[in-house]
Amino acid sequence: MASMDDQFFRKLTRGTLPLLVWGAHFTFCYLLAAAQCMPGALRPGGPNRLLLGIATALALAVCLWLAWRARGILRDPKAASILEWSEALGAVLALVGIFWNGVPVLLARGCT
Amino acid sequence: MTPPTPASLPDSLPNSLPRPEGEFERLDAAWVTPTGWRFFKSVNNTSIGLLYIGTALLFFILAGILALLMRVQLAVPENDLLSPGTYNQVFTMHGTVMMFLFAIPIVEAIAVYLLPNMLGARDLPFPRLSAYAYWAYAFGGLAFFCTLFVGLAPDGGWFMYPPLTGNKYSPGLNSDFWLLGIGFIEISAIAGAVELIVGILFTRAPGMTLQRMPVYAWAMLAVAVMIVFAFPAVIACTALLELERAFDWPFFIPERGGDPILWQHLFWFFGHPEVYIIFLPAAGIVSTMIPTIAGTRLVGRRAIIVALVGVTFFSFGLWAHHMFTTGLGVLEMSFFSAASMAVAIPTGVQVFAWLATLWNGRVRMTTPTLFLLGFLFIFVLGGLTGVMVAVIPFDWQVHDTYFVVAHFHYVLIGGMVFPMFAALYYWLPLVNGNQMSETAGKWVFWLMFGGFNTAFFPMHITGLYGMPRRVYTYDAHLGWNLLNMVSTVGAFVFAAGVLLFIVDMVRTLRRPTKDSGNPWNAPTLEWLPNDYYGNRSIPRITSTNPLWDQPTLPQEVENGQHYLPGTATGGRETIATSPVRAEPRYLMVLPGDSWLPVIAAAGTAAFFLLLTVKLYPLAWLCGLVAVGGTVAWLWESDRRPPIDEARVADDLVLPVNARLSASQSWWGTMIMLIVGAGVFASFCFAYIHTSMRLEVCPPPGAALPDPIWQLGSGGLLLAGSGLILLAGRAVGRKRLPWLVLSALGCTAASFLLDLRGHGLAGLDPTSSAWAAAIGAILSFQGLHIVVLAIAGPYLCLRAWRGHLGERSRATLDNVALIWHYTTLQGIAGMALVQILPLLME
Repeated sequence: MASMDDQFFRKLTRGTLPLLVWGAHFTFCYLLAAAQCMPGALRPGGPNRLLLGIATALALAVCLWLAWRARGILRDPKAASILEWSEALGAVLALVGIFWNGVPVLLARGCT
Repeated sequence: MTPPTPASLPDSLPNSLPRPEGEFERLDAAWVTPTGWRFFKSVNNTSIGLLYIGTALLFFILAGILALLMRVQLAVPENDLLSPGTYNQVFTMHGTVMMFLFAIPIVEAIAVYLLPNMLGARDLPFPRLSAYAYWAYAFGGLAFFCTLFVGLAPDGGWFMYPPLTGNKYSPGLNSDFWLLGIGFIEISAIAGAVELIVGILFTRAPGMTLQRMPVYAWAMLAVAVMIVFAFPAVIACTALLELERAFDWPFFIPERGGDPILWQHLFWFFGHPEVYIIFLPAAGIVSTMIPTIAGTRLVGRRAIIVALVGVTFFSFGLWAHHMFTTGLGVLEMSFFSAASMAVAIPTGVQVFAWLATLWNGRVRMTTPTLFLLGFLFIFVLGGLTGVMVAVIPFDWQVHDTYFVVAHFHYVLIGGMVFPMFAALYYWLPLVNGNQMSETAGKWVFWLMFGGFNTAFFPMHITGLYGMPRRVYTYDAHLGWNLLNMVSTVGAFVFAAGVLLFIVDMVRTLRRPTKDSGNPWNAPTLEWLPNDYYGNRSIPRITSTNPLWDQPTLPQEVENGQHYLPGTATGGRETIATSPVRAEPRYLMVLPGDSWLPVIAAAGTAAFFLLLTVKLYPLAWLCGLVAVGGTVAWLWESDRRPPIDEARVADDLVLPVNARLSASQSWWGTMIMLIVGAGVFASFCFAYIHTSMRLEVCPPPGAALPDPIWQLGSGGLLLAGSGLILLAGRAVGRKRLPWLVLSALGCTAASFLLDLRGHGLAGLDPTSSAWAAAIGAILSFQGLHIVVLAIAGPYLCLRAWRGHLGERSRATLDNVALIWHYTTLQGIAGMALVQILPLLME
């Protein structure tokens, strides 16, 4: 039987992991902030900023680690594969995205 | 035989000369395209792609005429050319047709036409699906447009916000026609996405690794994935609104627990990625054309690919920036504001890489070049105003004003229409070998560029002066008169450019066919000598820019010295390669031309149209035609191939067809199930959203079913899946059909049990949005049971007729996938309904 296995899903996960971390962080922050401002799960004082802050710090740490792991690309960027570029640049993009998403947690409070 | 890896490919060419006598004639005969009226039954990508592009351009012109009507109406204050009601229909149809019947279809159409040749494939993996998608779109889209002539066109804006579009404020059929019209583009877009994902991953030329794959293919892969994840939300919200309108299920009626904001969440969860679904193909086109016009390699190629992937992710975190004035929480809005700014980074990476490539090379100032430069100028301005409206306080000021109209036209016309025109000028020689006039082209560009900026730049100012969108006229003393007149003049100048383009295109297409050659000295494979069968032989690729780095490739391919220079089975086929390294894996047999996709599409379009105008018996008859056509088309597929192995090169023999995760149909089914899961997730979101709006859940007067019913139902679902697993091991045995029928019995009984539980609990979907959301989840599960009720007996019939064996079991494997998915979905739905109220206590 013909097989398609050339580690497609493993490579796909490796290449998109930083952006998946961004997605997970964004989804968590949005859902928590939205839920805690709705009657069904209303939290006095608005969304739990401590929890949001911890999630942001955790996501930043994971992306920093992913960026550090992909630092090898700096040695010879021209020879690096698309997968290695994806790991490195994806980590930088995710870091910026998560950092910017984290700024409102410091600046805004309450639901309205 | 072990397939060779690219590194181990022999230095000599895959096939030796001379080629056997009659080899080319047999290939040509297998792919010959019918002429005359029979042309319309052809399914190969070249025919369907051209029809698709032509139809999408027709909708571009029709929607453009509507835009001109609007501009004439607004040219002077207090104009009465169009009545308020007609104006509402005109602007709604303009937006809807441009977005749904032009922009999405044309990006898929160009890909259907171009990608197989660019990837070195003979065709995409599901040619009949492409044909069905095209015809459903063409029949449905044209019928939808005709509603304008009988005063039944939708009039609630292209995003159709309830409560305006609910029964109370839109009691006629107008909104129903919108919901229907969107249905056709949902069908064709998703079918296109299946084609593109499977085609790009599995039909690339041997040696075309992901690293070497053209950026355009990367862009289309990203777009197809976005369609798979974004479209379910719009499918779900259109279904919910139609359920509300047809059966009074109050999803969006606040007095009964509904919420109009639910529509906006679902619509924009689709609607914002939609902008990138339109833009990324254009970005891919630009990345493909710029190296050619600059005569140098693309700068930052890998960074551009990562940027495309980054945009794909970020685009799903932007939807609520369309909702800054709806009263969302301050933190929620800030998250979306931040993400809206973050997406500018990967987009900026692409823009700088294009500029660097132009800087690096020697630019030829041809018509495609002008359109690409126009794109850069206009799109960057649109991007900058995009960052402005991502700033929440600024958005509050300009929301629903002409500033926003200016912004999104700069993004959409700059980001998509200009690159598309560049693409048409660039790739038109592929159709009949002739290039369009350079002199006329320059006129077209300057008319369009000048006209566009004259029409839309003043709208920024009109918007800042406070002119709202969607008003059919305005008072003469508001200071908007001159700006509006200038915009109208600009719109007509732009239209003159489009008209000149059409005249020149028709003139070019009427010229005698000749060999196109490689007029731009492009590096990509679509410029290899080709015909309806694609290339004479499927090339072996060793570089990112094969026509630059392998200069003898065109001759070698035409000589038949590369892979599969003929037909091994006597029919249509292409080589399936592995998704990352593009190693040859098997010979993929493709279906031939047929009327069945046309019949199925006509039945589908007629079913929805007649249902909307409430001609029920005729509608169901057409529905039967659609199902019958589809079943007849599937019946012919998944047959044992005439040979088990095929020689595609002197030293390479491949198996014919594959099964499970190696087969294209398994992947197609998986993608369809992901779409289904997305729709289900959207219904679950509706349930969560309506529940969270309640102080007490379930709401007063409603109750949850006794868990015993749902436990029983879940058990029966698992039993059904278990029986299907056993059926998978009983291929060729007499018990197989009985196992399938028993599984169907279990699955159907599970649904009845779930339904009975809700019935005893007094579920009434018309009573509240909460109950309606449960009704939607139940109905979606019911729809899957209906699909299995057709698929199960169909499978049995194939087994009884001897069409199900170890070499022809794709139908069984795919039905099994749907079955297990239905089990998971049923259990997940029941668990959510029971558990969410517990979490809220």
